[in-house]
Amino acid sequence: MKRDRMAQLRSFWKEFRQVRFGVVGLVLFVVFLIGVVFEGPLLTYRDTNTRWRDMLYWTNSPRYAMPVWVNWFTSKDYAKSAVIEPHNVVEQTDGLRSVTMDFPYEYQAGRPPSDVLVDLAITGQVALSITVERPDGRTLTYTKQTSSSGSQQLRISVDQNLRERVYQMVASAEDPAIASARNPKQINAVGALFGKAQHGIFSEPEVLNGTYKTTLQVTLVGATAKLDRAQVVIAGGVSGILGTDGNKRDLWSGLVAGTKWALIIGLLTSLISVAVGVVYGVTSGYFGGWVDSLMNRIYEIFVSIPLLPILIVLSAVFKPSIWIMIIMMCVFFWVGPVKTVRSIALQLKENAYIEAAHGLGATHRRILFKHMIPQLVPYAFASMALAVPGAITYEASISLIGLGDATVVTWGQILFDAFSSGAVLQGIWWWIVPPGLAIALMGMTFAFIGFAMDTILNPKLRTR
Amino acid sequence: MYWKYAVRRVFYAFLMFAVIVFIFSALFNSVADRVLRSQIQETVNGESRARARVMQNRDPNEFLVWKEQRKAELYRLYHLDEPLMSRIFWRTIDTVTFRLGQSTIIRSSAGSQSVMTIVTERIPRTLLLFGTVSLIDLILGIILGMRKARKAGGLMDKATSVGTMVVYGMPAWWLGMLLIMFFAFTIPLFPSGAMHSTPPPEGIGYTLDLMYHMILPVMTLVVLGFWGIAYIARNIVLGTLQEDFIMSARARGISERRVLFGHTLRAAAPPIVTMAVLGLLGSLFGAIIYEGIFSWPGMGSLYWQSVQQNDIPVLMGNLSMTTGIYIAGLAFLDLIYGFLDPRVKVGGKA
Repeated sequence: MKRDRMAQLRSFWKEFRQVRFGVVGLVLFVVFLIGVVFEGPLLTYRDTNTRWRDMLYWTNSPRYAMPVWVNWFTSKDYAKSAVIEPHNVVEQTDGLRSVTMDFPYEYQAGRPPSDVLVDLAITGQVALSITVERPDGRTLTYTKQTSSSGSQQLRISVDQNLRERVYQMVASAEDPAIASARNPKQINAVGALFGKAQHGIFSEPEVLNGTYKTTLQVTLVGATAKLDRAQVVIAGGVSGILGTDGNKRDLWSGLVAGTKWALIIGLLTSLISVAVGVVYGVTSGYFGGWVDSLMNRIYEIFVSIPLLPILIVLSAVFKPSIWIMIIMMCVFFWVGPVKTVRSIALQLKENAYIEAAHGLGATHRRILFKHMIPQLVPYAFASMALAVPGAITYEASISLIGLGDATVVTWGQILFDAFSSGAVLQGIWWWIVPPGLAIALMGMTFAFIGFAMDTILNPKLRTR
Repeated sequence: MYWKYAVRRVFYAFLMFAVIVFIFSALFNSVADRVLRSQIQETVNGESRARARVMQNRDPNEFLVWKEQRKAELYRLYHLDEPLMSRIFWRTIDTVTFRLGQSTIIRSSAGSQSVMTIVTERIPRTLLLFGTVSLIDLILGIILGMRKARKAGGLMDKATSVGTMVVYGMPAWWLGMLLIMFFAFTIPLFPSGAMHSTPPPEGIGYTLDLMYHMILPVMTLVVLGFWGIAYIARNIVLGTLQEDFIMSARARGISERRVLFGHTLRAAAPPIVTMAVLGLLGSLFGAIIYEGIFSWPGMGSLYWQSVQQNDIPVLMGNLSMTTGIYIAGLAFLDLIYGFLDPRVKVGGKA
């Protein structure tokens, strides 16, 4: 028996190999699997899975940054995101303790970054001064301040906190009439900071390439005072493989983290529901009579319920977790293969060997599970593959309406965030195209596999 | 005998609707009760404020008693004082007779808070959009399917089959987003949503304006939809082409064209139409929230609205009505099938 089945499987594989798109589907499936297995190294932000909705985790990224590869298609490069660690750290310990350090930023891009941030963590009584020196020698003072006690975090953003200081630094280069007409609070501070000091610095700044050296000087008062962290963050115009969204999140990491959920949702739902459907259909066909009629009536009730609406209302009322959502989908998905399976079972049960098994005293259960269901396994696999895209799309649709499980990252939820923050009409294509493309691609993968099996199983459809 | 079958089928559809509404009522009983109770509380509060102004100098105790009485009266009216099974039963009766209650927030365009009015004013809009799509899908699908079947295994057949599979798992609403971004944002050719310009133009301009607004949503669904129908049609036609009567027709020297359109299509039409419309029913109800992307003010958008504003009565009413339309569609399909294909045993055992 066992050898028979192996031989059957081998001949099935032999035929499957002949269907080219089936093989393509299989390859894509393996690629997705590899993506899930190597999720750790693929994630550019390690804690994406747990901290996707934690805004603190993403504070150092730029908002609405385009993918890095956009630079291949533009003549004026966008500045890349970067975190600059301290260089040339000099510590003085005699008398007052003090620390001096540099943060050189090599600016070669054609367009300024979206923001520059100084990110500090200090403890105790500390006096600090932060300045940045431009390639043309002009300097901008970020801050000169003394902190009292306790530990605190300092985040100084050029775009939000330093507009007036930037204005003072470069105003002398502009026509006095134009400069005085400008409201310092409304200038493009980052553009001016990285712009040539000349006419038009406020309206159309021309980039000034070179090294921008940020210097941090800290005086530590008392024994307990210390500098815990210091870095300069360049929030670029481009960031990561797929850019960032309106909440500064790295979309590539989100996409990678969503892959496993798409696979889990799709495979689990189709596996359970097709298994249930096949057993249900075979049982119904095998027993016939009143069992068949009763099972048919129940089947018809489930078929008459529109799927997506009931799933939406169930999700809205019961606010399910992702696992409950999978069970909910199974409750309505199992009807898929029933009708075909039942008609196949009606043919199968007329075979002589079934009658022979009866004669030998085999129980109904034995006949169903040993003699009939094994014959339906290839069909079951085909319908499983074809049920996967539906499950993924339904979960995405429920998420799109805002009813997804907020403890996980799914592609549908990324699209919900995009749609609800108006990315469509702002043209933030890198927020919308990749997640949907991923859904479509995974759907295509399983469609390829499923249709390939279908062609093999239905000899009538053969063209050769 | 056809009409007997038809009457039975329609009756069966009503029965099915009642059973499903009963299941819904049981499933969502507690949340529906809760909403109704808070609605009654609000009504009583409102009435008592009005009453307080009239009878200012009365005994405050008497006032409280009146309030309780009024509440109990309303509870009795809505069967809220009865046991669980009876509450479910009465809710089923109410829903089946289309008494869907009052919404909590959402209003119809005329300002009514009756759920029935809110839902029914949207039905024609949804039917208009999805009806147009189905018709175009069906025509394109059958034409393409016939061509595919005629040269099965040919280049076009293979290419379009791959097309079917490529769009198989693509969410319609995502393609909608892309097309809006492209045709409303990058190249402002079509409106990004809604059914009319505001204010809507009069006369013939009204229809033209409506059609202009329909182009993008219809186009999106058609681009995704007709492939599946073409694939189904191809398979059925291909199966029919292997029948004996086709071989005999060919042997008699009947032209290939007549074999295809006269003999094959005639035999294959009923299953194609049912399969296609069944598939459309499923996919359209699967795409219903797609309306929200185009702010098309139909039943699908109502799901968005009621979820966002947490308007449970509207959500429930919408679900019941959607289910009703779906069941009606299935029944209609069976009736057409019985009409198109005399081989269906009318009135006999299936």
